[in-house]
Amino acid sequence: MALGAIAAQSQSSQAPSSKASDNRALAGAGSDITVVDLDGLKKFLQRDAKEAHPLLVNFWATWCDGCREEFPDLVKIDDDYRSKGLNFLSVTVDELEDKRLAVSFIQEMKAKMQVVLLNVPDKEPAIHAVDVNWDGALPATFLYDRAGNIVYRHFGKIKPEELRAIIDKQVTSDK
Amino acid sequence: MKRQYAVSLLVASLVVIALAAVAGSGRTDNDVPAPPTIGTVIDDFKLPDADGKEHSLKSLAGSKGAVVIFIATKCPVSNAYNERMEKLAQEYKAKGVNFIGINSNNTEPAAEVKSHATEKGLTFAILKDDGNKIADRLGATRTPEAYVLDASMKLVYHGRIDNSQKVEGITSEDLRDALNEMLAGKAVTKTGGAAFGCTIKRVS
Repeated sequence: MALGAIAAQSQSSQAPSSKASDNRALAGAGSDITVVDLDGLKKFLQRDAKEAHPLLVNFWATWCDGCREEFPDLVKIDDDYRSKGLNFLSVTVDELEDKRLAVSFIQEMKAKMQVVLLNVPDKEPAIHAVDVNWDGALPATFLYDRAGNIVYRHFGKIKPEELRAIIDKQVTSDK
Repeated sequence: MKRQYAVSLLVASLVVIALAAVAGSGRTDNDVPAPPTIGTVIDDFKLPDADGKEHSLKSLAGSKGAVVIFIATKCPVSNAYNERMEKLAQEYKAKGVNFIGINSNNTEPAAEVKSHATEKGLTFAILKDDGNKIADRLGATRTPEAYVLDASMKLVYHGRIDNSQKVEGITSEDLRDALNEMLAGKAVTKTGGAAFGCTIKRVS
């Protein structure tokens, strides 16, 4: 699913990238969390055909057991594939007042990927903007190819080897 | 010969279309069957309650219909809705629509379901779906997730209860709206709604 260019309005003092292809440049910001609204999320998901890399997106919350359990595997995947051209966007759907819990969690996980907190009054438009087939079950993981098509979606805890095999194909075709 | 070729081409095209449809579905990656479409009549089923006594969907439904809700004992989102679910259940029971909770999590045994209901004051029937057979049949993926069935067990709404885990943030009471329209004899305007929730913990 290709998402069109939409002017983003980040609610954070940390301005989002002007292009999705800058996600990789933003990777490593993992000690803090950028707060985004729906347009901000769409901008992070936006693909730039000229420079875009495969994009792995994981939705989670601190209250979600499965999300916390799979997070170390995702951190390893980020560590292993970043240099191979994989962008990674981690999206927490914790409430804004729970941002501190989410920050503590990603610090504990030693996460280096870009993490944003989705702050919207109604989650449905955001869920459908990501994938019309998704009903909001967490955790949820999506892999976009360079063109912005979803080539992998998984609801519930990831199976690391299965995900790695699909990422391998995408980063290989990226070269 | 030409006709045979045309038939082969048609079959091949249909196969390609079918494969594309499967590839485009979000459910296939997790082997969870797609939910029934709105308007489907849900076949009767039987499940035990937390004491092991079996109940059928039809025996628990009200004269005007039923609301089947997949719930959990440990999911914070489901728990955030306990009070709202109970209030809705009591309100609509008086109007002929009975609420039926289903716990399909393989991580939450019947005894826990029973003590949780007592502790949280849930008075509507709660059934235990060992092996997540009914969750599979209804394509349920998360808790809480609601299905509204009319008096003929036809599905008229499938989705969230409302738009906000926190009561103060509610701006769209989707489940209530669907029930009110159904009871007024109107077509349900918004037949579904997405919301973040905990994945149902299925047997592997």
